[in-house]
Amino acid sequence: MHTAAIDPPGVEWLRVSSKYVTVRLVEWAIRNVILVAVVSLPLLFVQLGWWTWPPLWFAVALPAFFVVLAVWRLALIPRQVRAIGYAERHDDLLIRRGIFFQRTMVVPYGRMQYVDVAVGPVERILGLCTVKLHTASAGTMAHLPGLPAAEGARLREQLSARGEARLAGL
Amino acid sequence: MTPQKTAVDGDWHRVHPASPFVRGWVALVAIVYFFGRDTFERSLQGRGNIGAAINERTLWLLAGGGVVLLLALGSFVLSWYFTRYQLAEGYVRVNTGFLFKQQRQARLDRVQAIDIVQPLLPRIFGLAELKFEVADAGHSAVRLSYLKLGEAKQLRATILGRAAGIADGTETVEVPEAPEQVVLYIPPGRLIGSLILSEQSVFIVLSAVASVMASVLTESRAFILYLIPAIIGLGTAYWRSFNKGYNFTAAISPDGIRMRYGLLDTQAQTLPPGRIQALKVTQPPMWRLLGWFRIHVNVAGYGEHHRSEGEHRTMLLPVGRKADVMMMLSLVLPDPGIADPERVFTAGLTGLDSDAGFVTTPKRAWPLAPLGWRRNGFLSTDTALLLRSGRVWRKLVIVPHQRTQSMALHQGPLDRLFRVADLVLHTTPGPVAPRLYQVSTELAVALFDQQAASAREARKRQTSEQWLAQLPPVHQVAGTASTPEEKNHG
Repeated sequence: MHTAAIDPPGVEWLRVSSKYVTVRLVEWAIRNVILVAVVSLPLLFVQLGWWTWPPLWFAVALPAFFVVLAVWRLALIPRQVRAIGYAERHDDLLIRRGIFFQRTMVVPYGRMQYVDVAVGPVERILGLCTVKLHTASAGTMAHLPGLPAAEGARLREQLSARGEARLAGL
Repeated sequence: MTPQKTAVDGDWHRVHPASPFVRGWVALVAIVYFFGRDTFERSLQGRGNIGAAINERTLWLLAGGGVVLLLALGSFVLSWYFTRYQLAEGYVRVNTGFLFKQQRQARLDRVQAIDIVQPLLPRIFGLAELKFEVADAGHSAVRLSYLKLGEAKQLRATILGRAAGIADGTETVEVPEAPEQVVLYIPPGRLIGSLILSEQSVFIVLSAVASVMASVLTESRAFILYLIPAIIGLGTAYWRSFNKGYNFTAAISPDGIRMRYGLLDTQAQTLPPGRIQALKVTQPPMWRLLGWFRIHVNVAGYGEHHRSEGEHRTMLLPVGRKADVMMMLSLVLPDPGIADPERVFTAGLTGLDSDAGFVTTPKRAWPLAPLGWRRNGFLSTDTALLLRSGRVWRKLVIVPHQRTQSMALHQGPLDRLFRVADLVLHTTPGPVAPRLYQVSTELAVALFDQQAASAREARKRQTSEQWLAQLPPVHQVAGTASTPEEKNHG
C-alpha cells in the first residue's frame, strides 16, 4: 500500500470503495463536457464567420488545451481515489488525500461538533455515501467520500460515540 | 425599572422602553417628513390649512400620516413589551416578537466574550447594548438593546460572575463589578501615527504618484478626477479606524481582559481568560521604524459577524510598542510554558534563524522562500505553539495547545522536491489563520504527531469551563505584566 512521506509512521490506512471512481467519472464527464462546449464557442463563431477575432489557430488551441487537461484529469482519477485513506486511532481520526498535492489531516474525536452523512444521486445508485466531520473551525473540511453505506453508518455511529466520550469545550 | 432591581433568578425583565424609538427614530422622522411636508410648506407659503376652506388634501395627508405613525408607534410599543430576558439556572433567555415569537437561550458557562456597545444616539440618552457571544448558540450573538448603562454593566457583572462560578444565582445582593486595573492606554497621537504609516497609506502614496505620472505623461487632468472617489473611500476608512481605535484602553480584572475604545460610538469588550483561540502579532514594514506591532485574536463567535464590525472587535492591540505586546501576551497566556518568555517572544517577533530555539525552514528549501526561509519557523512550548513567518510583513502566530481544533499537513510537488511540508492548524473563524510554512518533512510529521498528543493532554487538563480557579490573582498578573515595561523605560 502506498504511503507518502508526510503520513505519520505506523498507520494502517483504510481505503474508500473503488466504486467511488464511477462517481468521480460522472462528475468529471458533466463538468468537462460543459467546459469544453463553452471554450469551443469561439471556434464555432469563427467558423461561421460571426467573429473575426480570435485567429483560427487560437480558437482551435483553446478547446484542444482543455481537452488535453480533461484527459489528464481523467487519467488521474483512479489514482486519486486510491490515495484517499482514513484511519481511526485511539483519540483521533486521520484522513489523507491527494497525489501531487497531498494532505494528511487529524481530527480529534473530542473536537467534533457533529457528523453528517450525505448521499448524492450517483452515490445512491452505487450504494455509497460521504461522511463529513464538523468542528468549530471552518477550516476543518474533513470529507470522506466513497464509503459503502454500511461502513458510513458504522463510522458515523462510532465517531459520534467516541466524540461524546471525549467531548471537550472550545 | 430601577438599576437596583437587576436580574435576580427567574425574573423576566424588559429592556428600556425607549429602545425601539432609539433604534427606529429614522422611520419616525421619515413618516413625519413624508406626510407633514405638504402641510408645513403650505403654512410657510401663507396659505392656511385650517379655516373657511379646509384643504381636503391636507386632511387626508394628516389622517394617513397619523394612522401610519400610530401603527409604527404601536408596533414599537408591542416589540418593547414582548422583548423580555431572564437569567435562570445557568442560562440567559431572550424572548422577542409578538407575531412570530422567538426564544433564544445561551448557556452562561459557554460565554466566550461580552460587549457593551454604545452607538452615538443611545450614548446621548445613556443607553447601551449588551451583546455576548456563546459557543453553543449557533452563529449569532445574543443581544439586549437597549439597557441603561448602569444596568448593562450590572448585568455583565452578574453574567460573568455566574460564568466564572463565583455566583450561583442564589445570592441576594447583586454581584459587584469586578475591580479592574488599567494596564494599557494608547494615546491618540500614536493612533494617528499608526494610521499614517499603515499599509493603506503606502497604497495611497503609490497610487497618487502613479496618477500624477499618468497625467503628466498623457497631459490630461482627468486622472485627478478619478482619484476623488478613491480619496473619499479611503477617508472614510481612515475615519472609521480612528473612530474605533480612539482612546483604546485595556484593563485587567478577575473576569477577564476589558477593552474600551471609540470616539463617537464607544464599545467595551470583556474577554474572559482562556477564550482566545489563536492570536497573531504583526508588523507592517513601515511600523518597523518606530518599533510598533499590533495584535489580532480569534475568539469563537467574533469571526462570524460582519467584516467591518469584526475587524475592530478582533483587535487586541491596535498599535503598541514591544513592551505593550509582551504585556498583552502575558495577559492572554498567563502560562507561556517556557522559562524565558521575553527572549522567546522577542525572537518570535523580530528574530531570524534559530534564536531562542525556533526551528526554521531547512537551507535546502531556500528557493521556495528566498526571503522568508530564515524567518519561517516554529517553537512548541508546554502550553502553546508559536509560528513565526514573514521577513517584510513580520508575523508571529500563537495557538494554545488546548485550542487546536484539527490539523493538516500539506505537501505539494515542489515541497516534496525540497523535502518540506506545511502544517496548517484549524481554529475558529477569525483573522488568524495559523500555518507553518516549509518545515522539513521529518520534523513536520513529528510535530504533527506530537501536537496531536499535546493538544489531547492540554484538553484533559482543562477540566472546568468555569475559569476562575485556573486564573492567577490579579495583582500577580499585574506584577509580571509591568516588568517588561519597566525594563523598557528604565
